[in-house]
Amino acid sequence: MATIAYEPRRPNIASANVQLPAVPDYEHVDDAIIATLKPTKAWFAMLMTAIAALGLGVAAFLYQVHQGLGVAGYNPPVMWGVYIITFVFWVGIGHAGTLISAILFLFRAGFRTTIYRCAEAMTVFAVMTAGLFPIIHLGRPWKFFWLIPYPNWRLLWPQFKSPLVWDVFAILTYLTISSTFLYVGLIPDIATLRDRETNPVRKRILALLSFGWRNTEREWRHFARAYLFLAAVSTPLVLSVHSVVSFDFAMALTPGWHTTIFPPYFVAGAIFSGIGMVFTIIIPIRKYFKLQHFVTINHLDAAAKLCLATSMIVGCAYLIEFFIAWYGGVQVEQDFFWNRVFGQWWWAAWIMITCNMILPLTLFSQKLRRNPAWLFILSIFINIGMWFERFVIVVPSLSHEFEPWMWTTYAPTWVDYSILIGSFGWFFMWFLLFVRQLPVIALTEVKEIVPPRLKHAHAHTPANAEDFEPEMPGDR
Amino acid sequence: MRGVVGHFRELDSAVEAIEELKQSKLGDLTVFTPTPRHEFEHALHPPKSPVRKYMLFGGLAGCVFGYWIAVWASNYWPLVVGGKAFSSWIPYTIFGFEVFVLVGALSTVAGLFIHAGVPRLTMMVGYDPRFSRGDYGIWVECSPDRLAAAEALLRKHGAVEVRGDR
Amino acid sequence: MTIPVETTNGVKRRDFLKVLGVTGAASTMVGCSTDQVEKLIPYVTSPDHTVPGVSNFYASTCRECAAGCGIIVTTRDGRAIKIEGNPDHPVNRGAVCARGQAALQGLYNPDRFRGPMQRQNGTLVPITWDQAIDALHKGVDTAMKSGKAKNAVFINQHEQGLLHTFLDEWLALRGMPAHISYDAEAPFATVAANRAVYGVSWPKLDFGAAKVIVSFAADFLDGWGLPVPQQLDFAEARGRIEGAPRLIYIGPRRPLTGLNADQWIPAAPGTAGSIAKMLAGKMSAADAAAATDIPVKILEGLQKEIASAKPSLLVAGGTGPRALDLATEVNQLNKALGNVGVTIKPAESYGAWEGVVPPAVLNDVVAAMEAGEVPALFIRGANPVYSTPTGLGFAKAAEKVPFKVSFSTVPDETTALCDLILPDHHALESWGIAEPVQGTLGLQQPAMDPVFNTRATADVLLASLKPAPCFACPENPAEAKQHASDVSKFPPDYRGVVAKHLGGNGNLQNALPTGMLAGSLPRRTAPVAKIMKPAIVGEQNGDYYLATYWNLLMGDGRGANKPWLQELPDPVTKICWQTVVEMHPETAKKLSVEAGDHVTVKTVAGTVTAPAFLYIGVRPDTIAVMVGRGQTAAGRYATGTGHNAWSLLPASNDQAGGYQLVGVRCTVAKADGHTPIVTTEGSGRQHGRKIARAQTIEQFRAGETDHPHTFIGQAPTEFLPGLRAPVANDAQGELGDPKSAQRGEYDPNHPSGRAKRRWAMTIDLAKCTGCSACVTACYAENNIPTVGAEWQGPQLFADRKFPGANITRSREMAWLRLERYYEMDREYKDATWDPAHHPEVRVIPMMCQHCGNAPCEPVCPVYATYHTPDGLNVQVYNRCVGTRYCSNNCPYKVRYYNWFGYGEVDRAQYAFPEPLHWQLNPDVTVRAKGIMEKCSFCVQRIRDAETLAKVQNREIQGDEFTTACAQACPSRAILFGDAADENWSVTKLIEDRRAYHVFEELNTYTAVVYLKKINHPAPAGATA
Repeated sequence: MATIAYEPRRPNIASANVQLPAVPDYEHVDDAIIATLKPTKAWFAMLMTAIAALGLGVAAFLYQVHQGLGVAGYNPPVMWGVYIITFVFWVGIGHAGTLISAILFLFRAGFRTTIYRCAEAMTVFAVMTAGLFPIIHLGRPWKFFWLIPYPNWRLLWPQFKSPLVWDVFAILTYLTISSTFLYVGLIPDIATLRDRETNPVRKRILALLSFGWRNTEREWRHFARAYLFLAAVSTPLVLSVHSVVSFDFAMALTPGWHTTIFPPYFVAGAIFSGIGMVFTIIIPIRKYFKLQHFVTINHLDAAAKLCLATSMIVGCAYLIEFFIAWYGGVQVEQDFFWNRVFGQWWWAAWIMITCNMILPLTLFSQKLRRNPAWLFILSIFINIGMWFERFVIVVPSLSHEFEPWMWTTYAPTWVDYSILIGSFGWFFMWFLLFVRQLPVIALTEVKEIVPPRLKHAHAHTPANAEDFEPEMPGDR
Repeated sequence: MRGVVGHFRELDSAVEAIEELKQSKLGDLTVFTPTPRHEFEHALHPPKSPVRKYMLFGGLAGCVFGYWIAVWASNYWPLVVGGKAFSSWIPYTIFGFEVFVLVGALSTVAGLFIHAGVPRLTMMVGYDPRFSRGDYGIWVECSPDRLAAAEALLRKHGAVEVRGDR
Repeated sequence: MTIPVETTNGVKRRDFLKVLGVTGAASTMVGCSTDQVEKLIPYVTSPDHTVPGVSNFYASTCRECAAGCGIIVTTRDGRAIKIEGNPDHPVNRGAVCARGQAALQGLYNPDRFRGPMQRQNGTLVPITWDQAIDALHKGVDTAMKSGKAKNAVFINQHEQGLLHTFLDEWLALRGMPAHISYDAEAPFATVAANRAVYGVSWPKLDFGAAKVIVSFAADFLDGWGLPVPQQLDFAEARGRIEGAPRLIYIGPRRPLTGLNADQWIPAAPGTAGSIAKMLAGKMSAADAAAATDIPVKILEGLQKEIASAKPSLLVAGGTGPRALDLATEVNQLNKALGNVGVTIKPAESYGAWEGVVPPAVLNDVVAAMEAGEVPALFIRGANPVYSTPTGLGFAKAAEKVPFKVSFSTVPDETTALCDLILPDHHALESWGIAEPVQGTLGLQQPAMDPVFNTRATADVLLASLKPAPCFACPENPAEAKQHASDVSKFPPDYRGVVAKHLGGNGNLQNALPTGMLAGSLPRRTAPVAKIMKPAIVGEQNGDYYLATYWNLLMGDGRGANKPWLQELPDPVTKICWQTVVEMHPETAKKLSVEAGDHVTVKTVAGTVTAPAFLYIGVRPDTIAVMVGRGQTAAGRYATGTGHNAWSLLPASNDQAGGYQLVGVRCTVAKADGHTPIVTTEGSGRQHGRKIARAQTIEQFRAGETDHPHTFIGQAPTEFLPGLRAPVANDAQGELGDPKSAQRGEYDPNHPSGRAKRRWAMTIDLAKCTGCSACVTACYAENNIPTVGAEWQGPQLFADRKFPGANITRSREMAWLRLERYYEMDREYKDATWDPAHHPEVRVIPMMCQHCGNAPCEPVCPVYATYHTPDGLNVQVYNRCVGTRYCSNNCPYKVRYYNWFGYGEVDRAQYAFPEPLHWQLNPDVTVRAKGIMEKCSFCVQRIRDAETLAKVQNREIQGDEFTTACAQACPSRAILFGDAADENWSVTKLIEDRRAYHVFEELNTYTAVVYLKKINHPAPAGATA
């Protein structure tokens, strides 16, 4: 006869079996989370705003396609601008999801459970957004498919030595895999929704979407295995994708780009920005949907620690760049870095350093780590800072290269800004649609960490006030 | 062939029921659970899932293709760029890797579907929506003469509801 | 069989077909005037010498300035598409300047008069030629009847040739005075002094023979005198390295000649004369120093140098009030120093300024017009309303003239006043003759049929004599008879006039192929102007001297309606599409003005408010403004572009009757407003990047070199000899190893044989003066769009609505640019003034270096740029998707991007409005929106030569052809050829001691090799 024992203890958020003491049973999980799927006025308002922003972006893009890229702020030799910056920005954001769902899964970091669904969805939409920008920035966007190797009667193939072709492979793979990952995880939840759904039409649709999933132990066994391997293979993918993106720069001999530190530096930056965006999204959600007892302070605390760690890696990378520029003794490189920080572009560089290096240091204080309000504010700064990090990488390098005669400046125009805003509209449109159709917190995985109902409840003490963490340590 | 399905509210009673059912060899068991629990695995001792093989072979195939397309295309129409070799295999590792992940992961999902028997259009007999909510279910498939015994066994272990089905 | 096609307004292809449609053209070329019938006729009978797609070449004479260089006009299917120098011509020896090449844009100028026009109640309306000639009659007739015919004025743009005599004869027949051969650009003081001292108007200046050259404010490399021959001689001399002359420039502003000078002596405006006096020993160095505001040490050094270095060459330009004194002094000095006959050769004089009339005569003309004494005003080519000092008040006076006729081809401020427009042919459409060098005649022949419904002025004038009843004929039958005979002595048309002079049509025809023959023209005794004392109307005040000047591009304003010239940055300031007020940074600091802030310059004559420009090459007490822009009615490109500096000049002349451009006092005040400086310059300093390298002659003699024959990472060179980075070798893969099987076309034994070649270029910085003629040649050859016109900027950007808006975002498309670097350690704004020390200046032409290991190639995702076996880095326009990664990865920043549809007819940014697109080179694609482009080493010329060689079943000969830039280069600094073939001259220079590659350390193995500039510091004793 099996003996099943549960010892009550402070949840160790680093371990897989984190507990949600405030969640009594499975039914509560269903009820609480499915309750978030009811559309509200506020939601419609936000959705409309997002669509309006998207419309602005689309209009600007069409105008640009008709007129030519000259309407954007390009100032040769600054041939890349806001579009590439924003591309890297969104790709970076797209890294938190898979990181949290895959890497933290392998590390059995329990705090991922309640936030990973949100993060994964964010990833997919972020990559969907990022993927648009390489096309938007093309001189002849209608010819973007020439970068994809497809058999054609002209017998032409892409140039496989070009980092841009590497990008195509990396980004498309990443998009496919992260959306697959997201969907596989969703299948049992969709099955649950199906069973809770009363409206026959929706029920039918959900039944189709759930592939007729029925929670048998056999399904679960293969599911767990597949999920494990997807995680195992997504982990190097996450690391590779942003490395490849960094090659766009590192493979060029442009000063400020031509450096071997870029792959790790970009990956760390990506995770950093991703977690920033997770905060920006999850904190309002848990507040708005009253899910504090699912996404607990402990979880945020742990995520904040990860954020702090990556921030310090990034900061370290900044410093190493400067050191190597000085130590390498290449005068062009030295001029460039001086110009980046104390010259023409000092303001951008200092926005970057303040937002990405200095402000995150506040996370050393547990009080702030466990303060969702501060985490939210900080996450906004991180988003801004990371956008400017890419700005600082792209623009100053190109504007201050080998040829002094061709040193220029750069100023975006309303077209650049409109398309940038449009990208946020596009991203949040998808995300808002998502939160109203599918559970933002993984039902079945949460159930895993909720204690099951037991006949002999001898060892198990149900949730009680002590175990419910308050918003701030100390207060009730 | 027909069987009975028992609803359990509690995990441990379901597990005990399973253990006894396995000893009594009344018939094939199918366990429904809202969320994967190791207790069931311990009780049922199922074979290891083979989906990882899909990952392996799918991945290798993808890796080979990734390398091949790059090398072949560069040699198919040899043009010098930047004084580099026509097929520079080192950067082509990227294609090997990316396509490895792509095909590998997709074939894993394929493996999951094949072995888990999804997609399916009709719910199989014995399923009950509550199994996705909070209850555990055990579907015992056995010859008619054993139904009574199975039902009795399920009830003994505290099944809140037992119904026959076909 | 004929296929009718519907008429259309200017579709390239259709025009092309129209050309094919013309059959049996009378002259030696097919035509494409706009009144061609809209028929398609296949070549049943083909026009003479015309094979579709094959160029014809016509030797002719350039009329863009007075020099009269020999040109060869390339025509394709009846269209002139390119102007190149005539290699056999004594004046320019195959070179041609930017202005000369831009003649094509005068020919195809979209604003040209389409036909004769008459002013009817205020507006010009098109009329037929019959009406036009009739109107001319009536006008002349009334003029004659008015009895004031002797006051009639005919102002003709000065040009050498027979037209002088013809016009005077015609005018005489009408009882009118000889015409005024007007040229605002003529250096009258020098001409007068030359006539006085040397006996000829313009002796040959042999820069090569001199040990030291001193230029007294004579910008002989840019706007002054005969730029092309002067530049050829000078560059040739400097290219000798050993024994090359040292150049000293004296003047308040440092123009192109000053930049090329080894020493600049910034004498105060109008005081160069005292230096000449000093050298002549008529003044002490101390006094001269005081007068010129120059440290006495420097002047003493100069004294010593001139005394020791013989022979020397002293040239005097100068447009100050005492220009004639200066020029005479200097010429006397040359005599005294024994330079005449050695460095100054009156025997081989140029005919450029024969018969030019000093503008001072206009003072009388204006007075007469004011008095209403002038019955008729005829103007051909010249634009006196614009290109005279506003103080003269020409326009106001001209309005009082009852009958004003213009024969100009393009609208300008003067034609805007005229009642009757009888557009002449463009020079490339007309017959003519010149005597550029004493004893040699240069012929001018039409290269194509007239583009528009124009007529040669001479023909019009002749026609106006013919028809009866002749209004102008005297009533008296005897006189009428006399008159008839006078008329009859004229040949039927101007071509006849030329032929007659040459002794028959046959001689003319025989001379056409070379465009030259021995002979001379009747010397014209021009009416000498009343030489006036330099007196400036109104009292002089203001703390600054005003120094106005013109450069070769805009000239006195005649270049402003040609987009090539507007877009070509001034060789010194690098400004285009804009007029700026040049002031020294210290002056700017004093006025608390920054570059681009508007400042108001005020003189007795008028004011100009323009952006300030910080120029370290102008004295702090001097403000420099370039004339030539700011026109009000000169076509779409000139009108409203820049500001009119003529309006700052009072009606004052130097003693020789030339305009006084320098030395007027002015005040400068900060005005509100700011306009970005329209310049192609990023940073004007090298920041130690060793792009343009130079060494002193001593260092050169000492054998210092930057040219290691081996360096780290160098590729082995046994595979292809010649350049140190043969294309197949720097391929570090299979290609690197000669045993490799898989090299395809890159195998030297491949049937194509391309891999045997390695196209390369050498540029001798010791010769290059930075004149930028090569840039225009590149524009012409490669269909490069100009992007600076106001309407070409981004639409919907209110803040970018000014000419050059695109350039301020550095979107110019010049495949070849000239970088001008000052060797200084600080930004312009921090520069301080020291009359003794001035930064050395280096110019370097920068174009695609065609790297062996091109960084741009591997980053292109679609093979839009790759390396050909013969070493070219090619750009495949059709394949380019516009990622612009190649440009990011180009260390030389020589890739240019089509931000707008410059080549698309239906766009605001269209760069070739009809008929400008007739000039487009059919061998070169007009690039579409959204793709990258760059220097191709004129790949079309390479392939052309290859094909020709194949057709003739031979190998390509050494120096058989060259690129457009090398062809035009007036200093012969650029050399192009096959580095792998000893027969080409480049191979020698590649191994030269001065040779180096830019950014060698990047291992790009460039195919462009630069030869270091050589500086000639002042010899010991003389201080610099």
